Formats: sequence, structure tokens, C-alpha cells
Amino acid sequence: MIDTLVLTQLLNGAILGLIYGLMAIGLTMIWSVTDLPDFSQGGIYIISAYVAYWTITLLNAPYFLALLIGALAGILLSVSFERVVYNRLRPSGVLSCLLAAIALFFLLENIANALWTPKAKIMSVPETEVTLNLFGIVTSYHRIIIFITSVILFIFIHLFIKYTKIGMAIRAVAEDREIAALMGIDTSKVYIATWAFGGALTSVAAILISPLYAVWPGMGTLPLLKALVVVILGGFGSIIGALVGGLILGLIETFGAIYVSAAYQHGFAFIILLLTLSLRPRGLFGRR
Amino acid sequence: MANYKVVRSLPTIIILIILITLPLYASSYVVFVVAIALLYAMVAAGYDVLLGYTGQLSFCQGAFYGIGAYLSAILTVNYGWSFWLAMPTSVLFVGLVSAIIGYPALRLRGAYFAVTTFFLAHFVYLLFLNEVTLTGGPLGFRGIRPPESIGPLSFESMENGYLLILFSFIFIYILLRKFVNSNVGLILKSIEQDDILADSIGINTAAYKLLSFVISATVAGFAGTMFAHFFRLLHPTTFSWFLSEMVVIITLVGGVGTLIGPVLGAGIVTFILEFLRFAPEIRYIGWAIALIAILMFEPKGLIGLIKRVGRRWKYA
Repeated sequence: MIDTLVLTQLLNGAILGLIYGLMAIGLTMIWSVTDLPDFSQGGIYIISAYVAYWTITLLNAPYFLALLIGALAGILLSVSFERVVYNRLRPSGVLSCLLAAIALFFLLENIANALWTPKAKIMSVPETEVTLNLFGIVTSYHRIIIFITSVILFIFIHLFIKYTKIGMAIRAVAEDREIAALMGIDTSKVYIATWAFGGALTSVAAILISPLYAVWPGMGTLPLLKALVVVILGGFGSIIGALVGGLILGLIETFGAIYVSAAYQHGFAFIILLLTLSLRPRGLFGRR
Repeated sequence: MANYKVVRSLPTIIILIILITLPLYASSYVVFVVAIALLYAMVAAGYDVLLGYTGQLSFCQGAFYGIGAYLSAILTVNYGWSFWLAMPTSVLFVGLVSAIIGYPALRLRGAYFAVTTFFLAHFVYLLFLNEVTLTGGPLGFRGIRPPESIGPLSFESMENGYLLILFSFIFIYILLRKFVNSNVGLILKSIEQDDILADSIGINTAAYKLLSFVISATVAGFAGTMFAHFFRLLHPTTFSWFLSEMVVIITLVGGVGTLIGPVLGAGIVTFILEFLRFAPEIRYIGWAIALIAILMFEPKGLIGLIKRVGRRWKYA
């Protein structure tokens, strides 16, 4: 008989991993299409969580409506960053884009700080905060919602990238920008689609996990860092890699916090990053 | 021609005289702020070797600054070492850490290195915060002494501490200038221009990138030890991600790849930040917007602006 603590943590780790995976898919798509690890997604993570928080507290809206509105805000921000900043900086190289991305992240973090004060807010969703007992695993209704929503999203993303026209265009541009452009693919449309996609996934990840933790201006940094590690661990540009990498990191963090050290829960990802870079730089599912 | 040289170096000489005589007439607050600006200038000039000359973006100068500061503090306070022994030991240790981190990350092209250094800054912050027995954790590290006096030279007073920082800065700046003007500096510049091309003509780009990373890290570590024994109180939040971000902003505002640009940038950024102390929310938002604006409209920074205005003057 397996300990129920282990089973509970297995579920918690998997949920955390799915959240990392969702954010990592957005990042890995942007990264493979334009060579840019888009740090500004960390800022979008923060702002969309606050937008959802506002929708719930000010408008008394149901949680799924807040999820939708937050995701729209994320898409809007993400696409406008691509249009206004990255698109203009692209000729001067990835380095400038990366610096701008960091600056945008910093900007959004401080805007959140000024608008909503540094005090942490609780995004309370009473209807989902019901404790459940599933075969001895004590969990909440909300965790099950996270689990089911992200699994559905993963299937949807997979189908979207594999079979839709825009999904194929994104893959083509990721493979080779010039040749894709020569084949008549409108690369600027692909960029917009990729950023919209990334912004949506980041926001959904943020809003799904927020009711479990708190909403505060510094909330974006760690998920961003971990999602970037997941991208590298899973293999650059690989969606299945982002999913598997996310699950691995989520489980290592949850179990590491119990059996190794709770204080360094957020440090395990760094060790994974260094190990991946030195032992298998192309990641688990990378092709290069 | 000699005359021309004198005229050209005149501003530098005037600024140096002002800086050296500063404790004679300025308030201790001003001396203090200038000392901090000089430490930033040191870190930023070292960082310019990496960003401006080698073209590698990193976000962890604050971490190396912090490691230097904490290690030197721990060695002197907990183990009773002399500053003059603890300082080189800390600097060497920072060099070692940067080599260990840089080795796997710099062999790969692309943004892997930037991501790794970004994470390193957080990891080091976590260490400072959680290793309470060593660092004092969130309560801070107290009881650091000023550097021991050498013969008649005492560093007990803040003015002398300031002068020590000023002369270390001048020393480091000259060393860095010599370094970037050497053949190795040229090799670094070739990597910055095109690292694939540099590789193909037989330059071991990974090794040179690592070298410039280690140099920038040791300079930051050195400035960190100076900071610890000047400020005498260390707190983890001083060395958070924001410090690394500051160094990047300073370097860009000043102008990358010029070495003097980041020094200028340190002066201006510190001055404006002090000036905007009454509006803490606005100042960081302003900085972020300024950084994006610089990237989009004046990527060569302040030095680029000065040069452009200078040219217009000449031909007007």
C-alpha cells in the first residue's frame, strides 16, 4: 500500500508540472520561431493574474469568465509587445530584443507594484475551494480543475500545431525563417500568432495557479525561470518535451521540498538546468 | 599635437581632481553616494568587457558582487582573517564560481547563457537568504570591520574608505583599458562581431567567452568586497535580481563597448536614482521605459549621443 502522502504529492507535483508545461510551450514556440526567450512573458503572467483578480473581485464574475478575460489581456499585451517593440528591434539582433524583453518584464512588475501595491492579494474562488477525498488523496476541487483544463489544453495545442494551417506555418518558420518566407508564408502573421499563443498560455497558467497561491507583483519571476528551464530540459521547440519536462520539474520540486530541503525548493530547477546544459544540451526531446 | 592631447585629457584630469578632493568640501552623504556610484562604475566597466566587447548578455553581476561581499565578510568576521587576505581569496572564489557556471552555458550559442545567468542571480539570492548560520539571512550581516590599516594609512574613517574605493576604481579601470586594447581584446571584439566566423578562423570562442565572463565576474566580486567593508552591513535584498538589472541598465545607458560609457552611466544612474528617491514606484517604471527607449532610439547610449552631437558641432 502506497502512502497517501506520496499519492497526494504526486498529484500536486503533476499539477505544478502541468502549469510549468503550459507556460513552457508558449515560451518554446516563441523561442524557436524568433530565437528569443521572451522574458516579458513573466510580466504578462503577473498582469493577467491581476486582471483576473479584478474581474472576480470587482465584477463578481465567475472564475471561468475571469480566466477568459485574463487570457485576452495576456494576448493583447503579448501581441502589442511583438508589434511595437520586438518587431522594430529585430534588425538589430536577438541581444537587443532580449534586453527589451527583460525591460518589459521589469516594467510590468513595477506597474503591478504601483497599481496594486506590493501587498499580496488572495484570489478567492469559493465554489472551487471544496476539499475532496479521492481514494485517500486529499485535494481540492480547484486542483482537479487545473488538471482537467490543462490536459484539455495540451490536446488542443497538439492538434492546433499539427493540423491547422497556422500551426503548420509556425512550425515551418521555426524550421527555417527565410525558406518559409520564400514559400509564401507571411512571417509577420506567424509572429503575431505565435505571440498571441504564448501570451494566452502564460495567462492561463497564471490564472489557473493563482487561487492556490497569492497574487503579488513578484509572482512572475520564479514561474518564468522554471518555464525557461523546462524549455531547455524538454528540448528546444518541442511541445511534448515541454510537457514531460514540466512534469519532471514539478515532481522533483514537490518531492524535493519534502525529502531534501523546503528552503531550496526553487533551487532544484537551477541544478537541473546546469546538468542539462552539461550532459544533454539539446534536451530530452530536442532534435539538434 | 601634444597640446591637443593635453586638451583632450583635460576633462578627465578635472574630474579626477574633483573626485579626489571631494571629502574636503562635500557632505558625508554626497561622499557616500559617490562611493556607491564608483562601485557601480567598477562593476559596469567589468560587465562591459562581457557585453560590449564579447557580445554576451548576462544578468548575474549582482550575484558575483554579493558573493564577493558575503565571503569577505564571513572570512573576516567569523574566521578573523585580515581584509587584505580575505579580499583576494573572495575574488578568486568568485572567479572559480563564474568559471563553473560559465563553462557549460557558454559552449552553447543562443540565449542559453543569458537564461543560466538570470537563474544564477536568483539562486545566489536564495543562498544568502536561507543559509542563516553563515549570512545572517533576512536579519542581515553585521559587525564587518573596515580594512586594516597599512602602516600610517588607516581606512577607519569614511573619507579614507572612499579614497580607497576611488583608487581601486582607477586601478581596475586602467587594467581593463589595457586588457581591451590588447590582442585578446581584439579577439573578443571579433567574437562580438560574428562568433561563427571567429570560430572558423581558429579562435576558440568558448574559451575566450569564458575568459571575459570570469574577468567581469572577478571585477564584480572585487567591488563587492569593497562594498562589504565600506558599507559594513549586508542584506540579501541588496544583492537581489534588481542589482544585476541595474548593472545592465547602467552599461546600456552609458554606451556598450566603450568602457568609459558604463562609468558615465553609473554616475548618471546613481544620481537620478538618488534624486527620485521620493517617488519609488515611478522611478523603476521610468527606468524600464528609459531602457526600452534607449534600445529603440539610441542603442549606442550616452557615448553615442555625445559623439553624434560632437560630430555635428565639428561640421556645423
